[in-house]
Amino acid sequence: MRVVKILERLLATIPIMFGVAIIVFFFMRLTPGDPVDIMMGQGGAVSTGEIERLREEFNLDKPLLVQLWLFLKDALRGDLGYSYILKRPVTTLIAERLPATIELALGALLVSLLFSIPVGILSAVRQNSLLDRLTMASSFLGISMPGFWLGIILILLFSVRWGWLPVQGRISADLKLQQVTGFFVLDSLLTGNRQALISSLRHLVLPSITLGAPVAAVVARVLRSSMLETLRSDYVMLARSKGAHEWNVVLKHALRNALIPTVTVVGLQVGILLGGNMIIEAVFGWPGLGRMVVDAIFNRDFPLIQGSVMVYAFTFVIANLAVDVMYTYLNPKVSL
Amino acid sequence: MSGTELLEIRQLTTVFPTRRGEVRAVDGVNLRLKPGQLLGLVGESGCGKSTVLLSILRLIRQPGQIVQGEILFRGRDLRKQSGKAMRAIRGKDIAMIFQDPLSTLNPVFVVGEQIREALRIHHIVSGPRWPWPLDIAVRQNEKKRVLKIMEDVGIPSPMDRYAAYPHQFSGGMQQRALIAMALICGPSILLADEPTTALDVTIQAQIMDLMRQINQSHGTAIILVTHDLGLAAEFCDTIAVMYAGRIVEQGSVDQIVTDPQHPYTEGLLACRPRIQQREQRVQPIPGNVPDLAALPVGCAFAPRCKYARELCAQVSIPMFSVEDGRFSRCLRHTDFRIEPHLGWDEIVRL
Repeated sequence: MRVVKILERLLATIPIMFGVAIIVFFFMRLTPGDPVDIMMGQGGAVSTGEIERLREEFNLDKPLLVQLWLFLKDALRGDLGYSYILKRPVTTLIAERLPATIELALGALLVSLLFSIPVGILSAVRQNSLLDRLTMASSFLGISMPGFWLGIILILLFSVRWGWLPVQGRISADLKLQQVTGFFVLDSLLTGNRQALISSLRHLVLPSITLGAPVAAVVARVLRSSMLETLRSDYVMLARSKGAHEWNVVLKHALRNALIPTVTVVGLQVGILLGGNMIIEAVFGWPGLGRMVVDAIFNRDFPLIQGSVMVYAFTFVIANLAVDVMYTYLNPKVSL
Repeated sequence: MSGTELLEIRQLTTVFPTRRGEVRAVDGVNLRLKPGQLLGLVGESGCGKSTVLLSILRLIRQPGQIVQGEILFRGRDLRKQSGKAMRAIRGKDIAMIFQDPLSTLNPVFVVGEQIREALRIHHIVSGPRWPWPLDIAVRQNEKKRVLKIMEDVGIPSPMDRYAAYPHQFSGGMQQRALIAMALICGPSILLADEPTTALDVTIQAQIMDLMRQINQSHGTAIILVTHDLGLAAEFCDTIAVMYAGRIVEQGSVDQIVTDPQHPYTEGLLACRPRIQQREQRVQPIPGNVPDLAALPVGCAFAPRCKYARELCAQVSIPMFSVEDGRFSRCLRHTDFRIEPHLGWDEIVRL
């Protein structure tokens, strides 16, 4: 039953993706700046004939609705077109870059949950203690600190000054890793490449911390406040009156209920982790989707922008679906 | 020491610090409970009845704390027990039924498992409980006991209801589930905190019947906390009336109902609606419950009392033993003069 509902929801993402793509299609063409002009530079050294030829090649000479029709027709067949600038299929470009972005997002999610869940629980259990005050103050810092700044500071300390961790990239340049999935950690596990595993993990540490810090801060705060609420609830008192150990009370009765609002927030943050990491990818030279999209926007590389936005929409919807599925497990009153 | 007493509370005082000062929610309460006894603790909301129950289990919420007194359970002072020893008593020897069943049941766990929890905590069913596949026998035996108790408390088709969530139960069934939870380990004392307040009247009667059956078949002593003197009179054999954190009158049901000694009890009886007397209107007690953070020196009820004398507001009123097992904290029935050589803290026998 649940599987059928999940499949239904997955099918429903297709119109969402197309809707988003259509909106982006028009908005990009509304923004000033023409891709061919940008490609040719400002000099005017290129003949008008050449420009016309390029426009024709990219179908930019046709009416907007015809362009849209051509785009949608190809997209339905799984062809997202060619990048104007990179001259390669958009699907290939995304397939190359997306695993890096997802890997970083998962790393950041893991780091942030590893930090925020214990902190959220402990600061609720020991409310107003020194630990609580310290972590809540630092979580405030985590929220307000700009990512690029934290990234640069971490690089300065851990890479430049102490030399513990690599400065940038996904893996040491001298290591050879056979690509299977595009996820370097997974690939090195699959091919049994220990050196590559260590190297790719080490490369993940700093960007994950940088990207995960604000997420950890938000999740810790939400978890703390919902734990404070559930810890005061009647059912926690009931569990105590049964003779349950305090840790059992906290980790089972209070936490299970406090996770319900927390999961919603985590789901929203996952969307941010996937779609809001352009700056951090730039700071750490991380070859992910974000940097490519920023370049594509500056170059008015319409097919690449449209394709990437569809992927973003898809990941966002999937993250939301994952939250909804988890919700049904956490909250018996909710079903898909 | 307590001979036949199952539970004896002496001079129990529980305070909550607030911004406006210390609130003595329970102030020098003395109670005795024999095995199988049905004791009613009656009073208006906020008079400290529930705090007495939570103090017995030592589950007072921070920053509240018990500052004075002894809670002797089978001669052992619960205030001196370690956290571990206290946990072993909670749910096993002394169990509690809470007021609002919907908010008291944990919404994310199935009811059957919540009933089974106390069995598991106290290792009632013997057998290997670890590692995972080997504990199956224990779990099945525990489940059998849960199903049995669910049937005992009148939950129909327990097999189906075991895996149901609290929100799938009706209010009456939720309260039955809570009672099953409290009974599963066979406690000798049941603390019932307004068990029927959240329920409608017919369900209320069923639940009280169920509690009486439990008392008669298992010999479980029950402390019933209620604001409803009528309910307590019907159900209990002894009643203690509380006002502003103190017990103001204590005695058997007959004594309390037919011959109330304290004006507050009298007021409670007068404000009960009665079917027989058509003309008579319900007589509410004038005034409000006093502010526990600013209690007067003398009798806390004096401002609302029609018999109040000048002396009532000036001196702290001790508990008078009216007759055997019958106490009242009032000067009305006594021709009382201040005798400096008499300690005010002592109970003065007439």
